[in-house]
Amino acid sequence: MIGMFRNREKRFNLLITLVLLALSIFFILPLYWTAVFATRTLNEVFQFPPPLWFGDNIVQNYKNIEAVFPPFRPILNSLIVAVPKTLGLVLVSALAGYGLARYTRAPGHKMILVVTFATLFFPPSLALIPFFLQMNALGWLNTYWPLIIPALASGFGVVWMYTYIGSTVPKELYEASEMDGAKGLSTFFFVVLPIIRPGLAALSVWTLISTWNDFQIPLVVLSDGSKFTVPLALTTLSTTHYSDMPAVMLATLMGLVPVFILFGLLSRQFIAGLTAGSVK
Amino acid sequence: MASGHAGKTLHRMRRDNAFYLAVAPFLLVFLVFSVFPVIFSLYLGFNRWDGFSDPQWVGFENYARALRDPVFQKAIGNTIFMWFWSTVLTVLLALVIAVLVNDYVAFGKSYFRMVFLLPLLVAPAIAAIVLRMFFSANGGIVNLLSGAMSGTPSYFDWLGSEAWIKPLVVLLVIWRWTGWYIIIFMAALQSIPRDIYEAARMDGVGRWAIFSRITLPLLLPAIAFATITATLGGLQMFDEPYVLTQGMGGTNNSATTLGMYLFATAFTRLNFGLGSAVSWYIFAAVVILTLVYQAGLKRLRGATA
Repeated sequence: MIGMFRNREKRFNLLITLVLLALSIFFILPLYWTAVFATRTLNEVFQFPPPLWFGDNIVQNYKNIEAVFPPFRPILNSLIVAVPKTLGLVLVSALAGYGLARYTRAPGHKMILVVTFATLFFPPSLALIPFFLQMNALGWLNTYWPLIIPALASGFGVVWMYTYIGSTVPKELYEASEMDGAKGLSTFFFVVLPIIRPGLAALSVWTLISTWNDFQIPLVVLSDGSKFTVPLALTTLSTTHYSDMPAVMLATLMGLVPVFILFGLLSRQFIAGLTAGSVK
Repeated sequence: MASGHAGKTLHRMRRDNAFYLAVAPFLLVFLVFSVFPVIFSLYLGFNRWDGFSDPQWVGFENYARALRDPVFQKAIGNTIFMWFWSTVLTVLLALVIAVLVNDYVAFGKSYFRMVFLLPLLVAPAIAAIVLRMFFSANGGIVNLLSGAMSGTPSYFDWLGSEAWIKPLVVLLVIWRWTGWYIIIFMAALQSIPRDIYEAARMDGVGRWAIFSRITLPLLLPAIAFATITATLGGLQMFDEPYVLTQGMGGTNNSATTLGMYLFATAFTRLNFGLGSAVSWYIFAAVVILTLVYQAGLKRLRGATA
């Protein structure tokens, strides 16, 4: 009797697994097909049944893109934006998160904390227009500054570091460090920073990937095609060279590779960053 | 006494001076590039301004004008459609997948944990490019497939269709975002102690009852978080419809969202006042829905406790 029940349960679980497997194909097929089409000729892409395995036309497709735009340029541009922004954002957030986690009785602490949490519910579109005008007034339009400097203050980053530091750095450590005569921010730089390295890594991956994918603000700020970041450049390419699908797919694939490499190396940290907001 | 209080505060501030040093970089950038623009946008909303001539005070005219504009009205409807369906379907699908992967999957658990996340790495704009390719009228893979199945070649213009463009945006959101909510729900599921399930099973409680009476109530905070996040994104949706319709909003503005309306008003028609007014409408919608969710959550919690 119990054996039969177990068996039924097993069959049910197997069925569920197969259904999920089919569902998961829907989620990866677009990515897989992008990669396959990038290696095929224009004729092969329009055939039926569509190709399911890689072809040998990747070099020609690459030459086709290269003829119309420098394929590594947008990747370089995205790196120029994403790397300094990430380093700065993580440092600024860690500092503020440390201040908020440690000095809970400093005057003004509560207000700053509440405001920081409140920013999480602020739609960024509220600031879009004045932000553009501000960048115009500063003469920063069509430069990378608007994508880097204002982004250093991230409510999400501060909340994330505040929570992380609060849960990983024991209060006694501050007292011990103070006994040793630490002054100002030296505790942060010499004691706290080395401890919170996993948290810094998680916030970094998360910031790098979301910066890589940013579209609206670069669209508003950048006008010179040679300065376009990956999503902007690809959007333009896909409208101007719409007919050459394999070439566009290859360019798309190239724009995705850096993110996938990063994810492959640091998926654990990325996932930690995803759940950070929900666990309070 | 007042001066004594102030003196104490001053003393504390001096003692905790490192606090101010630590939060200063964040606060400075935040004040200059976030607080100031938001306040300025409030001012802009009451003015007519093209960015060149002097701003002209018009009171609530921008707010009234937006409401009278048929394109704005259409954008409200479109945004509600996309926000509602993308939020409901994404959260629901993620919930089902998370529970199934967590409790019922026979093999390949780590595969399932990873695979739904991959679309999240793809920029919404890039995902829209890929979707455009698949749904293009001439030789798009979807038309190829449907043509092969029906026997006659199909050249249906999915992206130009008023009926299909919104569901396509929703499909794009589902594809890209479901993985995130799965991760959030899985984290919440993992924090539920296993012996609760064991005990319930011992007592002969069925699968559905376990899910609806134990799992679901314990997942409520995570569901609320997911719904609020999806709503924040849904009400401001821009990248997906913008790239899918190549910035045009689709046939007869059938995919123009509030975010796109704001963008076009400000950056193509250079009407910064009207655009700012629209951004405050979006803000109001976010605030109202967040409050509604919180009230709903409180009521649900009261009902299950």
